[in-house]
Amino acid sequence: MTRVLVVLAITASLGGLFLWGLLRGSPDREVESARLNRQVISFDLPLYPRFQGTFGPTLNLATELNDKPVIVNFWATWCGPCYDEAPHLQAAWQRYQDDVLIIGVQTQDRGKRVEGEAFLDRFGITFPNVIDDDSRVSIDYGLFGVPETFFVRRDGTLLYKHTGPITLDKLEEKIAELTAS
Amino acid sequence: MMDVGLGPLGNAALYLALAFSVWGIVAGAIGAIRRDARLLTSARLAGVATFLAMTASIAIMEIALLTDDFSVSYVASTSRAGNPLWVKMVTLWAALEGSLLLWGWLLSGYWALLSIVAPNSPLRAWALTTMAVVQTFFVLVPAVIAPPFEVISPAPLDGPGPNPLLQNHWMMAVHPFLMYLGFVGLTVPFAFAMSALLSGRPGSEWMLQTRRWTLIGWGFLTAAIITGGWWSYEVLGWGGYWAWDPVENVSFLPWLTATAFLHSVQVQERRHMLKGWNLLLIILTFSLTLLGTFLTRSGVVSSVHAFGDGPVGPAFLTFFLIVMAGSFGLVAWRWDGIRDRADLDHPVSREGSFLAGNVIFLAIAFAILLGTLFPLIVEAFTGDKVTVGAPFFDQATLPLWMGVLLLMGIGPLLPWRRANTQTLRGNLAWMTGAGVIAAAVAYAFGLRGIYPILTVGLSGWNLASLTLLLLGAVVPRMRVGTRSVVQVLTGYAFENRRRFGSMIVHFGVVVMALGIMASSAYRIDEQVRIEVGDTMPFQDLTFTVQDTFMETTEYRVGAGAVVDVHRDGSLLTTLRPKINTFFGQSMNVPTPDVLYLPLYDVYLNIAAGVTPDSEFVVLRVVRSPLVAWVWIAGFIMAFGTAFALIPSRRGVRGTQRAPKGSSVA
Repeated sequence: MTRVLVVLAITASLGGLFLWGLLRGSPDREVESARLNRQVISFDLPLYPRFQGTFGPTLNLATELNDKPVIVNFWATWCGPCYDEAPHLQAAWQRYQDDVLIIGVQTQDRGKRVEGEAFLDRFGITFPNVIDDDSRVSIDYGLFGVPETFFVRRDGTLLYKHTGPITLDKLEEKIAELTAS
Repeated sequence: MMDVGLGPLGNAALYLALAFSVWGIVAGAIGAIRRDARLLTSARLAGVATFLAMTASIAIMEIALLTDDFSVSYVASTSRAGNPLWVKMVTLWAALEGSLLLWGWLLSGYWALLSIVAPNSPLRAWALTTMAVVQTFFVLVPAVIAPPFEVISPAPLDGPGPNPLLQNHWMMAVHPFLMYLGFVGLTVPFAFAMSALLSGRPGSEWMLQTRRWTLIGWGFLTAAIITGGWWSYEVLGWGGYWAWDPVENVSFLPWLTATAFLHSVQVQERRHMLKGWNLLLIILTFSLTLLGTFLTRSGVVSSVHAFGDGPVGPAFLTFFLIVMAGSFGLVAWRWDGIRDRADLDHPVSREGSFLAGNVIFLAIAFAILLGTLFPLIVEAFTGDKVTVGAPFFDQATLPLWMGVLLLMGIGPLLPWRRANTQTLRGNLAWMTGAGVIAAAVAYAFGLRGIYPILTVGLSGWNLASLTLLLLGAVVPRMRVGTRSVVQVLTGYAFENRRRFGSMIVHFGVVVMALGIMASSAYRIDEQVRIEVGDTMPFQDLTFTVQDTFMETTEYRVGAGAVVDVHRDGSLLTTLRPKINTFFGQSMNVPTPDVLYLPLYDVYLNIAAGVTPDSEFVVLRVVRSPLVAWVWIAGFIMAFGTAFALIPSRRGVRGTQRAPKGSSVA
């Protein structure tokens, strides 16, 4: 009986140690973007043809910032979570297009125009979408993966960066902060 | 007609497998308690049925991968439509969910095979029931805890493809497969050990029935660890193959205890000793495979092999704790029946050396486990974050490895029970002589430092020992017949497969020890900057950077340099190290190019990005002596294991007692 108790005691202490390790969580995984409150890098990228009527052949971030704060959303056709967040972005655009400009950037997705068009059609997206074919802008913005969403103030500084699919609630919260600043 | 997607179909197969494996437990346990032959047959059929259902789930996943069905969550998160066929096929085990599905499938294969071939002994019922319990866990994981068959709606049009580090080398198609075959193979002796305890027959039966399975599991594990090292060498770009990373360590732990087990079972087989010890070792080995999976898949111990955290960690922890408490508890409860009655006759005997070897293997395992868990323990008690690196592991285990080499030479030459002092002295004189000469030659060639010289000396000692073993077997046979040396030798080899196989494996270990020693103690690692068109001397070589290049294939872009390697004025080879960028991934993958030579490797890796208009390249140059012999040693060890496993004409399915005088060591 003593032996059985010894075994149980050892198991319990190992279990306790590992349980603590699990509950401790993953330390320091949530790192705030080092670009917070700094100037973002501007870009000038070709637009999907359907948006060219309004904006011309390319879209320049610096120029658009003269007008309104901007939300830059990076997506790709191979990215599952991007399909989840697309309706939220479109909904936010329909409500707040007078206060803020949303720009979709298709990135890390070289040559996937037809698929990109299909993506825009599927969600009836009406905010401008540009094509970052050589992924240069995603490197400038230090992207870990897609989707990521950047909230840029009118002075060109970064208010907030969101990693992973974004929701309408989060968009509304940050749009309020953008327009207040 | 209703259109059923592959996702629900895969899940259906998994739920079916879950039902069958649960039935395997219920029917097996009730059948074993009531000794009901019909229920026991039904439990065996459950094993086969589970295998069929798991095979269906694997087939469905492969179909989903090959047809780019991105509505299946696993395919969407790890595959890419434009990838080559072989990459799509092996994407099955390129990420967590798929690789656990593979594990479950391989396990079900072993369970089904065991259900069919295991001889009808009193141990079979509980052994198969134990297999069913383990299987149930490994079906529960893909069915419920980390499901690969979730339906994604709307389905994305394409996926990102597997981790580029895994796409970059064919070896990745092999390594995880071997690893799981090893883990799963060691489940069989564990199941029989459990059966021995549950059915109150903790004698030697369980171990004799699983000897072959143990060797198969051990062989696959060995091959898996070596291919893992080779992959790391060819892909990770630092020119090394072992970094004492937690993931490497935890795969090594069950290997160490399994190696100890492989030797100590022979003591039980021949001398009926170490019964309890062997039970403990196999339980420990199995528990360590679970612990390793938990540690590396939960984020509890930080590692470069980040599989991310998720619900898999807690699941493996729970199962590990249940197995620990259940199996060790069972041993504690039955201890009075399994305690040894025989005693060691004399420490200088085969069993004495095996026992000493066992202690050393366990000491190495303990040191590695401690080093791996130490950061967690410290953080739990003090809150400080520490890391334990290679120096600890090297210092703690190197003296012990020397002990392993020492015992490996002497053990097989010692007879059971007690050594004849005169023969022993003669043998020791030859071996010591060979060792001293080898060490002296090494010193003359410029080797310095205690461990390099000791390693070479002990290699001489072991080669002398292997020669003595062979002579001892061949010479008497030559005297009595008229056959040639070759005939006698092949005759001996095939009549004593386990013994001869073990000699091949031991020879492989010597080769490996030399390779590891030379490549780690005498490795040169430098960064050089060379203008395009220029030549730079490096040791006895010269490098000429001919050009830079950029190549685009359907799947990736590679940018690198064309480097001619000359020695003594003649061109050895042209190496093309590069950096690959896979489409759908933003991560750059260094792709070193290696010149394999018998005496040393030349390893070039691009250290700073190259563009077509670069005027210079920065290269990491690693020159590792004898490193190719580490892989060759791996082949030798695998061959030796396979040789020992060749079924003998006398034995049926390897479950019978081996002919007298044979042994695996």
